[in-house]
Amino acid sequence: MDSLDRQRARGVAWRLIRHGLLSENFVLYLSIVSFAALYLFMPYIASGRNLANISSNMWPLLALVLGQMFVLILGGIDLSQTSIMALTSVVGGMLMTTQLNPTLFEKSPLWGILLSPEGSPISGTALAVPVGIVAMLTVGMLVGLLNGLAVAKFRMPAFMVTLVSMMFFSGLAIYLTKSENIMYLPGGFMMLGSGEIGPIPYSFFVVFALGVVAHIVLKHTVLGRWFFAVGKSIRTSVVSGVPTERVIILGYVFSGFCAAVASVLYSGRLGGGRPTLGQSLLLDVIGAAVIGGISLFGGKGKVLWALFGVLFFVLLSNALSMLALPFYAEPVVKGAVILVAALLDVARTRLMAREVLA
Amino acid sequence: MPELLLQFEGISKSFFGVHALQDIAFVLPKGHLLGLIGENGAGKSTLMNILGGVLQPDRGGMRLRGQDYSPRNPAEATEAGVAFIHQELNLFTNLSIADNLFIDRLPRFGKSPFINKRAARTRTRQLLESLNLALAPDTLVDRLTPGERQLVEIAKALSTGAEIIIFDEPTTSLTAGETERLFAIIQDLRRQGKSMVYISHNLGNVLELVDEIVVLRDGRVVDQGPRDDFTIDTMISRMVGRDISQIFPSRQSVPADETLLEVRGLSQPGIVKDIDLTLHKTEVLGLFGLMGSGRTELARILFGLEPFERGQIVIDGVVCDGVSVRDSIRRGMAFVTENRREEGLLMEATIVDNVGLVALPTFASAPPARLLRARGLRLAVTRVAECMRIKSGPVHRTLAKNLSGGNQQKVVIGKWLMSRPTIFIMDEPTRGIDVGAKYEVYSIINDLAARGAGILLISSELEELVGMCDRIVVMSKGEVQGAFERDEFDRERILQAAFKGHQAHQRGGQ
Amino acid sequence: MEAAVGMQKSRGKTLVIVLRHTPLILFALIFLIFGVLSPRFLSYQSFENIVKQASYIGIVAVGMTFVLLTASIDLSVGSNMYLSAVVAGLLIKHYGLPVPLAPVVCLAVGLLFGLVNALAVTKLRIIPFVATLGTLWIGRGLGLWLTKSVPVEFPEGVTQIGAQRLFGIVPLPVVVFLLIVCCAAVLLRGTAFGRQLYAVGNDIEAAKKAGINTAQVRGMAFVICGVLAGLGGFISVAQLGIINAGFGEGREFDAIAAAVLGGTSLFGGIGSVFPGTLLGAVLIQMVTIGLVSAQVDLYLQPLVQAGIIFLAVLLDSIRTRQLVRLSRRHIRIEEA
Repeated sequence: MDSLDRQRARGVAWRLIRHGLLSENFVLYLSIVSFAALYLFMPYIASGRNLANISSNMWPLLALVLGQMFVLILGGIDLSQTSIMALTSVVGGMLMTTQLNPTLFEKSPLWGILLSPEGSPISGTALAVPVGIVAMLTVGMLVGLLNGLAVAKFRMPAFMVTLVSMMFFSGLAIYLTKSENIMYLPGGFMMLGSGEIGPIPYSFFVVFALGVVAHIVLKHTVLGRWFFAVGKSIRTSVVSGVPTERVIILGYVFSGFCAAVASVLYSGRLGGGRPTLGQSLLLDVIGAAVIGGISLFGGKGKVLWALFGVLFFVLLSNALSMLALPFYAEPVVKGAVILVAALLDVARTRLMAREVLA
Repeated sequence: MPELLLQFEGISKSFFGVHALQDIAFVLPKGHLLGLIGENGAGKSTLMNILGGVLQPDRGGMRLRGQDYSPRNPAEATEAGVAFIHQELNLFTNLSIADNLFIDRLPRFGKSPFINKRAARTRTRQLLESLNLALAPDTLVDRLTPGERQLVEIAKALSTGAEIIIFDEPTTSLTAGETERLFAIIQDLRRQGKSMVYISHNLGNVLELVDEIVVLRDGRVVDQGPRDDFTIDTMISRMVGRDISQIFPSRQSVPADETLLEVRGLSQPGIVKDIDLTLHKTEVLGLFGLMGSGRTELARILFGLEPFERGQIVIDGVVCDGVSVRDSIRRGMAFVTENRREEGLLMEATIVDNVGLVALPTFASAPPARLLRARGLRLAVTRVAECMRIKSGPVHRTLAKNLSGGNQQKVVIGKWLMSRPTIFIMDEPTRGIDVGAKYEVYSIINDLAARGAGILLISSELEELVGMCDRIVVMSKGEVQGAFERDEFDRERILQAAFKGHQAHQRGGQ
Repeated sequence: MEAAVGMQKSRGKTLVIVLRHTPLILFALIFLIFGVLSPRFLSYQSFENIVKQASYIGIVAVGMTFVLLTASIDLSVGSNMYLSAVVAGLLIKHYGLPVPLAPVVCLAVGLLFGLVNALAVTKLRIIPFVATLGTLWIGRGLGLWLTKSVPVEFPEGVTQIGAQRLFGIVPLPVVVFLLIVCCAAVLLRGTAFGRQLYAVGNDIEAAKKAGINTAQVRGMAFVICGVLAGLGGFISVAQLGIINAGFGEGREFDAIAAAVLGGTSLFGGIGSVFPGTLLGAVLIQMVTIGLVSAQVDLYLQPLVQAGIIFLAVLLDSIRTRQLVRLSRRHIRIEEA
């Protein structure tokens, strides 16, 4: 019977939709579907240049989200990631720059001590770039260490600790440079952020490695299980012998490290040490994490989710700029998207509960 | 014939195809106290939730004073005069007693939104006085003991003019004195003509208090009748459906001479004082005391969760410096806490993640990488779950929060078993689990002892300790007040020791 | 043991009192320190300046306190301030809105904004962090759209309002701030709604069982927060006279910091507007102005500020833990 066929078709379609919705890869499917839909209207979206554009935006953001994910899994939050980016950008810039304009920088507290019109003591040498990068990563981890200590040892709420960190370290970055950008960074450094091998940018390899490490740690090591345990119940973890303080500190250190990595990539791409680097990115990072499905309550998270969340987020920004919408459309759409994502999450949780009990 | 107040007629309820209640029918006469007993999962909570308006039945109904009674929400139940005092108290610790009592109907000045605090205080004082509670109405609930909080809950029930009051496991957090007071109030309420339903695993208390007993098993009423028709043994066998000639499995081992744990002069000001304790191999040592005697605090100190100022803890002949949970675990200690939901389990994690939590490093490669052998872990956990008869779905998918109380407790014990401890501290391991699961836990304890472990069993149920232990140490007010060998077990003397420091109190058994 | 326990008890009690009043003590301490560092700081002018500049964020912080009490958060207050001010400003410029109606418009927009948050959280069941993150973005976008990113100038009439003084002495912003604090304090302590806010923040399930309409209570908190954010926006505009595209950005963190410094817990159920949030808001401003008076390097000021807030939060954490430990310390004595 015709209507029976139609009913059956509807049943199949509904089951497909439900399966897709409930799937863990939901955001991936959503990204693919959106991309396909946009392609119909704007074939340019699949052009080499645009894909390269999308790609180069994705990797630094993914680095940040990977770090934030560890902290979110612990049930905390790291609001200081962007100020870590700014501070490390400045530190690296100061060490690696080959030319500093005295009128701009002579008021900096480090003028005369570390800085001169030729840059730092090591600028121009072969050491400059490696030392600069190592310094950036170290500073990132140190700030993470401070955050972690405050949260783990002093039991201060993560929101407030990292908020204060954000204020302090971005203030520090501005103080050290008197708000000036540091330019004339060596080409070798800039390559990392903007160079590529064939179609694939260097930043991809860096972040891919980071992602692989994160995935292995979370899924295949004892430490990974400890992260989830602390996020699910810190009290039970303490009684069960989990070294909770160490785990929490490591989470924040990793978050700081990832922020420093992102800083290396962004600074390389933008070509300067900027004390205001990444200022507007913070909420993007959390938004991408939430869209990807990482819970703000802790105990849940996967590297793939971070990837999907960032993918969707960057696709969205890309689509918006392609559609030549005015710039103020972007925040509106971002806000709408995150609300819809949250709604879908609520719907999915309800659907899943029903499936389990059925 | 006493007036029939409440009638259940053919109540049935299913959740997603699973029958929770089938054809429940009994009556609650006015002014009577009815005991509702049954194992966990028998349907007691579901039935009371229907009575209290939290759930609606699929079939059947209730009659209150001869009229149809079907509350669609708790507010309607309250209005009809039914008050449900839950096991987890629903008080707001950051508000005063007065605020708590009247939070949804605070007295106001006329039609204005402003609270008439004096009126609230007066009404609160009256209610508290009727319950013999000498507390100021403005006291923050934060500062009250669990016993006082329970009585405030009762005051709340009375303030709504309840005629039917349901008590769900009211004595689990009460001291003996507070339990006495509760029972006196219950008798008082009965004299005032209130009708009550009393749910409890403490069958002795139930027998002492009630007029009638209704036994639920697997969602059906399997027995009901006047209290005198029942004894503890018959209650248990009706609840479980088979004859349990023994509540406690027989002990197969005798304590060895070898000492596993020795405590000398342990003190922490304000908490415990001069504790001396010895635990031997293959021994089950009981630690008895009333609530607040310092037993749990002592256990936490021994395990390294809390510090101590003076004294020594000696494990296997080695004095322990420093207080650390990880050190204790390394030396072979295990600690099953009394609050499995907060400190024993990861509620949102699978059985594998829970059971494997302590022994994780043993299923991994060397540090620093510590790569997990996931399959090995899963197999080991499956074996432990089978061995302990944990009934659930697949262990790597079932979440702890979806397990029954008994199974949850087994998960916690299983977690510690995997670390192969020699010193096992268990604090109220059978609290809140049904009779069948209790027996299984006792068997596990016996087994552990027989294999050479030493078990420190902390419990406020004297029967349990008498049935399981080789020795019982009694604590009161932070100090050891007495120790009894198995052949000297005498309930009267043990209880006397537990009450030492308070007014002498004669209460036969539990 | 009895005597020792007794002594412990009285020592414990003093500690408890100190710990319970940490915000007040911290406030006094900082006041004294800056007073010593720079006598100029102790002048009336300086003090008036502090409270005046603290007013607009203080008003927003009072609103935030309501939301925090219910164990929620509102990240959108900055965008709310911006949007409210933008709508008022544009109405004045292009539609001839009379200046006295400007605050009304701000309140109305703030209320609508708060209502959207309330619905998102209670009806759509989106968690507050995500919901207000979304409205933060949407609100900012809407504001940018309306202004095309061009700064909005307000006529003199508006700044005149900001410069008004009650009885010729007390600046209007301060009057409004104090008035709001009073009303909020009365609301929280003396009405059923206020008590229910605390109840919902303490235990939402118990609140539902007690018959409280938790959706309504939580929703109202967001609406109040929205209204006060709009008002705060107006008060700020009345002092600045002009707003650009970045107006209000980041103010949500200032408001949260003020509330938390004043003793409000991020976990709900604990906090007050008087003295709590009032002290918190003034404290932050006091540090800012104190640093200027002490002639600290402009670039170092944010660092010192962050340091002080860190100290305050640290003390608060210690306080909470100590209070818990002290109350647990003594074995509950068995009753006869």
